[in-house]
Amino acid sequence: MILLQSPSRFLLQILHDRLLSQDKGVDIDCQTVEFDDVRYHIQVSMRNPKVLVLSVALPLPPEEAASFDGLPFGAIEAIKAAYGPVVQILDPPKDGFDLTLKINLAKLPSDEEQKNAILLQIASIREVVLGAPLKILLKNLSMKTVGPEAGQPVALVHRPNESFFVVPQADKATVVYPMRFLDSIDIVLATSFLQEFVEARRTAALNNAPACMWSQSPPPELKGAPESALTANAGFVTFVVNPRHVEGKKLDRTVWNLLTFHAYVSYHVKCSEGFMHTRMRRRVDTLIQALDRAKSDAEKLKKMVTGPSFKKWFVI
Amino acid sequence: MLTGTWQPVRINSLLPDSHFASSVYLRPSLFQIASPLHSTSVPPSSRSPRLNWSEQIDTGSSVVNLLSISKDSTMANTIRLYLTCIRNTLEAAMCLQNFPCQEVERHNKPEVELNTSPELIMNPDLICRNEAEKCLIETPINSIRISMKVKQADELENILAKKFLRFLSMRAEAFQVLRRKPVQGYDISFLITNYHCEEMHKHKLIDFIVQFMEDIDKEISELKLSVNTRGRLVATEFLKQFI
Repeated sequence: MILLQSPSRFLLQILHDRLLSQDKGVDIDCQTVEFDDVRYHIQVSMRNPKVLVLSVALPLPPEEAASFDGLPFGAIEAIKAAYGPVVQILDPPKDGFDLTLKINLAKLPSDEEQKNAILLQIASIREVVLGAPLKILLKNLSMKTVGPEAGQPVALVHRPNESFFVVPQADKATVVYPMRFLDSIDIVLATSFLQEFVEARRTAALNNAPACMWSQSPPPELKGAPESALTANAGFVTFVVNPRHVEGKKLDRTVWNLLTFHAYVSYHVKCSEGFMHTRMRRRVDTLIQALDRAKSDAEKLKKMVTGPSFKKWFVI
Repeated sequence: MLTGTWQPVRINSLLPDSHFASSVYLRPSLFQIASPLHSTSVPPSSRSPRLNWSEQIDTGSSVVNLLSISKDSTMANTIRLYLTCIRNTLEAAMCLQNFPCQEVERHNKPEVELNTSPELIMNPDLICRNEAEKCLIETPINSIRISMKVKQADELENILAKKFLRFLSMRAEAFQVLRRKPVQGYDISFLITNYHCEEMHKHKLIDFIVQFMEDIDKEISELKLSVNTRGRLVATEFLKQFI
């Protein structure tokens, strides 16, 4: 699985299981944590078997991100638009969480395909909520209008205490990510990965993809941004998004990919390190075999004799 | 006088009272010398402008200078000759015998680690492939310490080498002849005692060490290649999403 998937498998599994076993009386109370500090808590009690309560906790926003009362800008409208009557927002959210939804399974459409589509949408709650401000900006781009913040960098949250910046303009939107990693090895690996992004964009097959640049110092688009956001130990990545990347069906996918870019790079850096460990272990085994060959036969015989095969050898 | 391609030169004086004092020890066939070389200077050749001389590293110990040639020619050959030179040095140096400790009764320690009595410790040998890669071989009477410095061209190779060599050093127990910490200034060290020579065949042990060195180089370049390939793939998949 190279790309990060938008619907959360945990939620999808629970929703499907609940649908299949609607008559059986099983209480569900599960919590889980996803990458970048997103927590889910899902509850079903047998008193109302058709009602699921889903609570979502979002990553802590840094100071410069657009201030909101617990939820990103435009999240509530996005939820209403995406789910319709099936989902109801409970206010105030449960303790420790930022958003609580009541999902009414009775109101799901009866058509199998539509039902699955809505369940998939519910499992993608993270994309809907966290991606709401980005979706609004990109929708403006696809309609070639600009909101009040044209030309100024807008800070959006994608990780706890970190934000990325979008500079909306009439004909394009520039997205800048300050990339920060904790481990020094991660930094070097990520830097080489990010430079590959720039290289890959240059190949002819990807001419229609957004233009991609990497630089060690903050790019000029970030001139209006606060100082604390401008330190990044693995450089700054800039994507230039055109209207054709966000028209129609592509909008959702573009929002998800841009939202989880840092998580994507970080995931592959970790995979790379894991792969290196496997290789190194295999190499160590080869070398130890080579060393064993160096041992004289007398030594090997001594080792064999002291083992459980002593009796066998003795009989011969 | 030098003809043809460069060759490694090794000056061998392992015993302090110079049994093989200052004799030239040359393996490769293309190399021809007119006069015996002394350990201090070798006259530069005027016929091949591409050859550049590496500086003499240390005047105290006997030193090997490897002629390094420009990168566009036979880079692959240099590793062969470097390893052959190391192998020959080890074959000559690996004559270890049991030697009980002089200082403490009934103790038997590898003298290279103690470094107390100068008469027990021979002159160390330093074999350099270029400024970045070198190999130090120290041979007292009952042990050999081989320290290597691995080539690290850029930041990525730097951390890959460090990671891999730390990984190996942690498993020194399994390797028996590996030292847990490398000698100061080097990346990895072996410690071979007379007991190891008694248990294992000498030529196979040398085979192992040379193979080890080759494997490290190969492994680091393969790791770097895998990182770059993965980066390319990841980037292509991501950007394809937008088309």
